[in-house]
Amino acid sequence: MTGALALLERTAGGVTSASREAVGVARTVADGGAVVGLLVGPGGTGPASGIPVDRLFTVEGPGLTDPSTAQYAALLSHAATQLGVARIVVPGTARGRDVVGRLAVRWAASAATGVTDVTLGEGGSLRITRPVFGGRASETLELPGPRQVFAPKPHAFSEPSAAAAPAPSETIALPDGFDKLPTRGAEGFEPTAGSKGPELGEASIVVSGGRGLRTPESFRLVEDLAESLGAAVGASRAVTDAGWRPSSYQVGQTGRSVSPQLYIAVGISGAIQHIVGMVSARVIVAINSDPQAPIFKVADYGVVGDLFPIVPALTKEIRKQRGLPAGPTGSGPG
Amino acid sequence: MEIAVLVKPVPDAETRLRPDAGGSGLDPEGVKWVLAGYDESAVEQALLLKESIPGTSVRAISYGPLARAEEVLRFAIALGCDAATSVEQPAGAPDDPLVTAAALHLALSKRAVALVLCGKQAGDDETGLVGPALAEMLGIAEYGVAVNVRWDAASSALTLQQSVEGGLVRVRASLPAVVALQQAWNDPRTAKLPNILKSRKAAIERMPASEVSSAIATVQALAARRLAFRLPPPRTGAKMIEYKSPEEAAERLVRILREEAKVFP
Ligand SMILES: Cc1cc2nc3c(=O)[nH]c(=O)nc-3n(C[C@H](O)[C@H](O)[C@H](O)COP(=O)(O)OP(=O)(O)OC[C@H]3O[C@@H](n4cnc5c(N)ncnc54)[C@H](O)[C@@H]3O)c2cc1C
Ligand SMILES: Nc1ncnc2c1ncn2[C@@H]1O[C@H](COP(=O)(O)O)[C@@H](O)[C@H]1O
Repeated sequence: MTGALALLERTAGGVTSASREAVGVARTVADGGAVVGLLVGPGGTGPASGIPVDRLFTVEGPGLTDPSTAQYAALLSHAATQLGVARIVVPGTARGRDVVGRLAVRWAASAATGVTDVTLGEGGSLRITRPVFGGRASETLELPGPRQVFAPKPHAFSEPSAAAAPAPSETIALPDGFDKLPTRGAEGFEPTAGSKGPELGEASIVVSGGRGLRTPESFRLVEDLAESLGAAVGASRAVTDAGWRPSSYQVGQTGRSVSPQLYIAVGISGAIQHIVGMVSARVIVAINSDPQAPIFKVADYGVVGDLFPIVPALTKEIRKQRGLPAGPTGSGPG
Repeated sequence: MEIAVLVKPVPDAETRLRPDAGGSGLDPEGVKWVLAGYDESAVEQALLLKESIPGTSVRAISYGPLARAEEVLRFAIALGCDAATSVEQPAGAPDDPLVTAAALHLALSKRAVALVLCGKQAGDDETGLVGPALAEMLGIAEYGVAVNVRWDAASSALTLQQSVEGGLVRVRASLPAVVALQQAWNDPRTAKLPNILKSRKAAIERMPASEVSSAIATVQALAARRLAFRLPPPRTGAKMIEYKSPEEAAERLVRILREEAKVFP
């Protein structure tokens, strides 16, 4: 069996970047077979234009505006069985991972999440690598065939280049017993307070601030730096515990795990509980007045010094280099 | 109602990670096994719900080598759980989330549990697969990355939020359901000494390895095979930027990010 199916998760006006990454990975594991995208719910095929799949499946039906993970799993398993594909790639978003767990059981497939590397193995198996222990180690696993389902780690794979022509699209019917599956029960959505920039888990650059900023007001320095880079803003638990910023900003063992291309830690000491949430970033920069701060042990580049003059100077330099107007806008379209 | 809380023994955060002799797993020598971080949240959440819903009891369930599983179960009891079940991992059974889910399913299928609480991911393998896989086996709803879980007595349902990319989704969850917690409390309760002492003698229900073996037989074929466990090359310590003024520090850093690290946007 060859071919791979990728779930395309709809988002306002398009699909998530994690979905595009999933399509790129699907190509790697399709073993010369077709890459098929599955788009669920109303909204037409527009969001999938430019996504380089060979075939596009769409499915519509009552309640599919916001499917439950049980419904996603049933649809994917149904489509994969109809198509006879061996592999399903699910976007590595918060909910995508839940789909993987359900789908593995439903479709009787081996499964993995947080995949950072994948190659074809012997006898229909896949060989995958994934970070464990918060990025402090990694493991290589053989996922046995004949069926596998997995989710890539966000940003571990690049997005494929856009397709020149849209793929032919077909609709599929709902599987039997679909109406008996648990539904989502969602009642509303609250965007993260004050988030203008990209989402923490999806951002390719993250700038985080710690207790070294001293007051909630001066935390603004970190947000200005982030804005100059188009980065997401994170914080240590000292900051969220003190209520300077909401807990959704917290990076670490008991907060979010991030793996951006660049992580800048400002006034963060580098406690192990913080480090496990960001150590898998590709490049780490630390700014701290204490040359002995443990953050420098995991950083690639360090600036020892007082953040209060350094961070604004850095923001200014970045804005200059990127041709942005001097001084943060603070308002207006971010 | 009965709430089940799933607790996994994982190496203490301070553990120095080392590959084992075969190079395919973690060397368990000298490892201190503790409750996985999010599972501590799951226990806290279970106890908060118990306090707000009259007639509720909490059972902690753990799958693993007996000594490890019972260690964390006693801790859960010391924190306030009413009962515990240890599901014994058969010798040689693979460490795989689907196998774990099947083993936990055995323990859960024997009781009428209204709510299963677990962590969003365990601090060791971080797969986050056990909760959703178990929900599919039970044929019930599952809510991942959950925060702010509350009992709404009027509608006999849970209200919670799911922390997804870009914000929080508000959800009303009717039972039965599996809820995987993202939330970490800043001040989860700590066990009091008399309770710790009492938990040493608490009775723990056991599912013996023989029974577990047949429950995991079919999913075992799906289990991943561990080929390698690697530590990243040691970070050699940061390259320090030399500078005389903040402006110079900024210029140098930007130049390095652009030319050497190639991460400048
Ligand atoms: C169970 C548990 C879970 C936890 N989970 C998390 C978690 O998920 N995330 C997390 O972050 N923490 C977590 N913690 C807390 C963690 O142990 C640390 O307490 C916390 O990360 C410290 O935050 P900080 O680095 O901002 O503050 P501090 O440790 O106080 O460090 C402040 C730093 O700022 C520097 N500084 C001060 N002034 C300046 C200046 N003018 N210029 C430059 N630098 C300056 C100092 O040198 C210092 O290094 C957890 C703890 C426990 C027990
Ligand atoms: N061996 C286990 N025993 C009990 N619960 C477990 C076990 N493994 C995983 N879990 C639960 O499932 C969650 C997710 O674990 P994981 O899928 O390993 O990341 C954990 O936080 C636990 O609540």
